[in-house]
Amino acid sequence: MEQSLAARDHCGQRPLKQPSLALMAHLVLTGLTKRYGQTVAVASLDLAVERGESVALLGPSGCGKTTTLRMLAGLIAPDAGRVTVADQDLTQVPTHKRDMGYVFQSYALFPHLDVAANVAFGLAERGIARSERDRRAREALALVRLAGFEGRRPRELSGGQQQRVALARALVLRPQVLLLDESLSNLDARLRESMRHEIREIQRNLAITTLFVTHDQTEALTMCDRIAVMNRGRIEQIGTAREIYDTPATRFVAGFVGRINTIPLARDATGLNAGGIAIRAHGVPDGPVDLFLRPQLVALAARSEPAGDANRLEGVAARTVFVGDRSEVLVDTAAGRLVVELAPGAPAPADGAEIALLWAPETGRVFAREDA
Amino acid sequence: MNTGAGASRSLAFAAAGVIGLLLAPVVVVVVISFSADSFIVFPPSGWSLRWYERLLSHRPLMAGLQLSATVAAFVAVLSLILGLPAALALARGNFPGREALRAFFLAPLLLPTLVLGLALLLAFQPFGLIATLPGLVLAHLTVTLPFVVRMMATNFATLPDDLEAAAATLGAPPLRVFFRVTLPLAAPGLAASGALAFLLSFDETVISLFVSGPRASTLPVEMVRYVEGRTDPMIAALSTVLVCGTLAVAVAVERMIGLTRAVGR
Ligand SMILES: Nc1ncnc2c1ncn2[C@@H]1O[C@H](COP(=O)(O)OP(=O)(O)O)[C@@H](O)[C@H]1O
Ligand SMILES: [Mg+2]
Repeated sequence: MEQSLAARDHCGQRPLKQPSLALMAHLVLTGLTKRYGQTVAVASLDLAVERGESVALLGPSGCGKTTTLRMLAGLIAPDAGRVTVADQDLTQVPTHKRDMGYVFQSYALFPHLDVAANVAFGLAERGIARSERDRRAREALALVRLAGFEGRRPRELSGGQQQRVALARALVLRPQVLLLDESLSNLDARLRESMRHEIREIQRNLAITTLFVTHDQTEALTMCDRIAVMNRGRIEQIGTAREIYDTPATRFVAGFVGRINTIPLARDATGLNAGGIAIRAHGVPDGPVDLFLRPQLVALAARSEPAGDANRLEGVAARTVFVGDRSEVLVDTAAGRLVVELAPGAPAPADGAEIALLWAPETGRVFAREDA
Repeated sequence: MNTGAGASRSLAFAAAGVIGLLLAPVVVVVVISFSADSFIVFPPSGWSLRWYERLLSHRPLMAGLQLSATVAAFVAVLSLILGLPAALALARGNFPGREALRAFFLAPLLLPTLVLGLALLLAFQPFGLIATLPGLVLAHLTVTLPFVVRMMATNFATLPDDLEAAAATLGAPPLRVFFRVTLPLAAPGLAASGALAFLLSFDETVISLFVSGPRASTLPVEMVRYVEGRTDPMIAALSTVLVCGTLAVAVAVERMIGLTRAVGR
């Protein structure tokens, strides 16, 4: 402590005694671990979130997202690891002193208090005068577009309104860190969409460091600066939506984020093949492997069209499916049925048409096959 | 479909029959309480309120009523105050031996009250607690506390998830969480527990017989004494008053949380 003060005095900057990542990032999780008996809920998780940044914790149900968030808020004691905010180790600090807003999956509104009192709950803890409390609560409710609902009880609100009250209750304190646990999962599709944008906008305007837990990839892609993909208590990859989508680091990430074709590959004397057709790919690991190919990175072509450097797989168009904003063609090939996105404006092939699929070797990703 | 309806109808008849059977003695008592006869005769040959008037001027029974009400009030309040921390520990605490403690709190429920009464008599004698207000209160607490602890523990355990956690994330230290969230939400259940403790104490007879004395006797003890000597409709009048009182408390509790939820686990 003294050391760091001295260092700051001398050069007018923060001391450089810690790794630079930890120094720059606002919220840092190091080796966070939680076990429940035999189950490892969170396995030595590392994560660094910049000030004002919004990071999604994306992963399937049961992968340890909630446990991570609860450890962050101090609601669960980790078995190992540290939680640091603004270079301050909070691991041993009790929840009420952490200054972290938490929006629970269940909203957790106080049923015995009206909406205004719910929102003002934390302000009262900070010893703020009643009139000021009321004013700020009204302001926060206006922020989430719930002006006029002050006197209602939580049970008199719809799910979406309750969720916004929970958000207002957390935001009114201007917390250092905002934690959202599947906060939109109970809403209907339309409300979810508008809430996504509202929360994103509020988060940006207030520049609150945010960790957003979700199992919904659209939510993760639209709401956050970066995405951390979680599986079985670990972060498998962290990066921007583009990075995660275009260059998945692991087989799990490739399969979990976005639609993708999985093509089993075989090895022969000359290299790899899919259903007997030779395939070229980059970054191929040892052992049995599968090729992962995004539907929009595969081109539909006539059988007569030359392949050039691209991989080529012949097939028969089975069906074209219109999915709202685009069309997808299901193509039966020697390597199984593949989904191919139809380029905008391109004519759909007739059902049963004989076609070819083309893709550049570098667009596909190859990962070792998991034992079934 | 038809057989199902028939079955449910015969079930309803059976239920009505059982309830009728249970209530019949009460009805008889209420009817007799308005009797004009000097002895218990059913049906009475005439009607009057004379036994109610007689009851009001009967010193020992009125003194018993007053004592019982006082004891029950103390027992209810003390059950809540003493039971609250235990209930919280049972519902929230995560300590070794929690199950053993839970079993311990259930144990007196299974002990024959006769044995408990004798034990209390032996234990209280040296301290001069027999036939005193503190002695009676203490004795009744041994009966009510396990009930109240168990009821309140259930009450705390069934509070909605995450509310206390939410209060903590909003900056409330543990004690403030308790007073601002836990207690208000548990209040109806606590009131019901208090009411139950009151009724249990008021109704307690066997243990009271052991620890009462000429100096201080609760109402049930006085009633037993009275009935030993003679049988006239006055005791029916008293019973009617007690039934009404108990019913009033039960209705109040039902209003607050629902009796089934209060007693159920
Ligand atoms: N209190 C608990 N006791 C035992 N196991 C738990 C507990 N909480 C979570 N788990 C287990 O830990 C894993 C991660 O849970 P969780 O963090 O809730 O996942 P997510 O929020 O990603 O769905 C799951 O396998 C879950 O069963
Ligand atoms: Mg969860």
